[in-house]
Amino acid sequence: MRRLARRRPRASGTLVMLVAGLVVVASAVSGRSPSSETTAATGRRLREPLTPAFTVGRPARLSGTRFTAKWAPVRRPAAARAAPSSGARVVATLATRTPEDTRNVVAVIGHRQDGSGAAWVEVRLAALPNGSTGWVRRTALGGYGTVDTRLVVDLERLRATLYRDGRPLMTVAVGAGAPGWPTPRGEFYIRDKLTRYRSATYGPIAFGTSARSTRATDWPAGGYVGIHGTDRPDLLPGRVSHGCLRIRNSDIVAMAPHLSVGTPITIR
Amino acid sequence: MSELILEDVDRDEALTEAIDGLCGSTRASFLRGAALGGAAMLTALSTPSEATAAITDVDILNFGLRFERLQATFYTQAHETGTIAKMAAAKKDWAETLGAHERAHVRIIKSVLGSKANARPFFNFGDATETDAAFTKTAVAMEDLTVALLTGVTPRVKNRKLTAALFGLLTVEARHAAWARHIIGSTPAPTAFDRSRTLDSVQGTIARTRFIVTKPRTSGTTAPGFTG
Repeated sequence: MRRLARRRPRASGTLVMLVAGLVVVASAVSGRSPSSETTAATGRRLREPLTPAFTVGRPARLSGTRFTAKWAPVRRPAAARAAPSSGARVVATLATRTPEDTRNVVAVIGHRQDGSGAAWVEVRLAALPNGSTGWVRRTALGGYGTVDTRLVVDLERLRATLYRDGRPLMTVAVGAGAPGWPTPRGEFYIRDKLTRYRSATYGPIAFGTSARSTRATDWPAGGYVGIHGTDRPDLLPGRVSHGCLRIRNSDIVAMAPHLSVGTPITIR
Repeated sequence: MSELILEDVDRDEALTEAIDGLCGSTRASFLRGAALGGAAMLTALSTPSEATAAITDVDILNFGLRFERLQATFYTQAHETGTIAKMAAAKKDWAETLGAHERAHVRIIKSVLGSKANARPFFNFGDATETDAAFTKTAVAMEDLTVALLTGVTPRVKNRKLTAALFGLLTVEARHAAWARHIIGSTPAPTAFDRSRTLDSVQGTIARTRFIVTKPRTSGTTAPGFTG
């Protein structure tokens, strides 16, 4: 007890010196005088830390049920092959431009590496027979774009429904292929968007698709099926076209901001 | 092993242009050949220049948004291509966690900037998101790059509360970088001070990869030639 009693003053003196030292260091770092700081030793509180201008919300991992689809521009002419191998049969050749002189794009539906570790991408082809797919080297394509939209065309009901993130956004009446000029059924995608052209027949906006007419194969631009406005809204809904999907001008104008290039199309 | 330099990953010089805007063209040119996360880059980014006088907090936030978007898109694409799904559990957890963090960073910075947020760039990661090996190398390089850049720009923010928030991002990015190094079997904290940090442990480079590119022109005014 006597020893402890003798030691107490020394211990408290050391503590006081330590606290004083910390105050000096703190003031040196902050650039303020010791008197402006507060310490536990003097009964005052240390200054609160700065409240950050923002904090980050809870991070969320990606779920497996996202309604996204990928597309990619064609960077250089490339062979699309039947399998992810440079020795596989060529099924089509990809051009960098569309007949409308926009950048050619492909819908991306698969990924694989070959035996040498090279990356291959499976893509939908804008070629006959409709529904064709092929494998191209990743290096032939540019960066991926993504869309969360999908267009479903019902040829029986003559209706087209645009979905976003799996939920219906709008449904419109369509004009489809007349007897003898069938609109092809299957899985396709939006290739490009045309505006400010002068053609009342196609309305104010036209979208190119990867679908091709099986009848109009000698059509000057290749017989591609478009989705566009019309100068004959009185014919819709109906089977009135050479394979294209016609939509009333007001409907296509309303749909256009949501119908991005790369959007998958199901025609059934 | 070769060091990864800015020129390797910035084929279109989009990143160099961003640094040019913040640090001046002379420094940006110098940084082009500097090792990412290396001493030269850290020192150059940390030293004030005359060009920084007109830089606003909004500029710096947009600068940060650009890099966070780069990272977020990189991890998201690796997820969507199935590359992450094929990884072993621990590595998959790492990649998915970092992706979630980067997307959260994008959301908050974009929210803070509001209408002043710059448009989202178009990215092309080439093979880097398609294979495990390329993805891992790129991830390590990008995390170190982000740490270096945030280290450089955070002290220049005028709003102290914003500085405090950016430090919160910086420390998380530093953890990402350390985690990435751990994933590739390298020392997470190789030095006691970041100025002398190098990327010796990063194997290979992402040479010839274009990360930020011009968005392809997919619209036109040609009269349609569709079947009608």
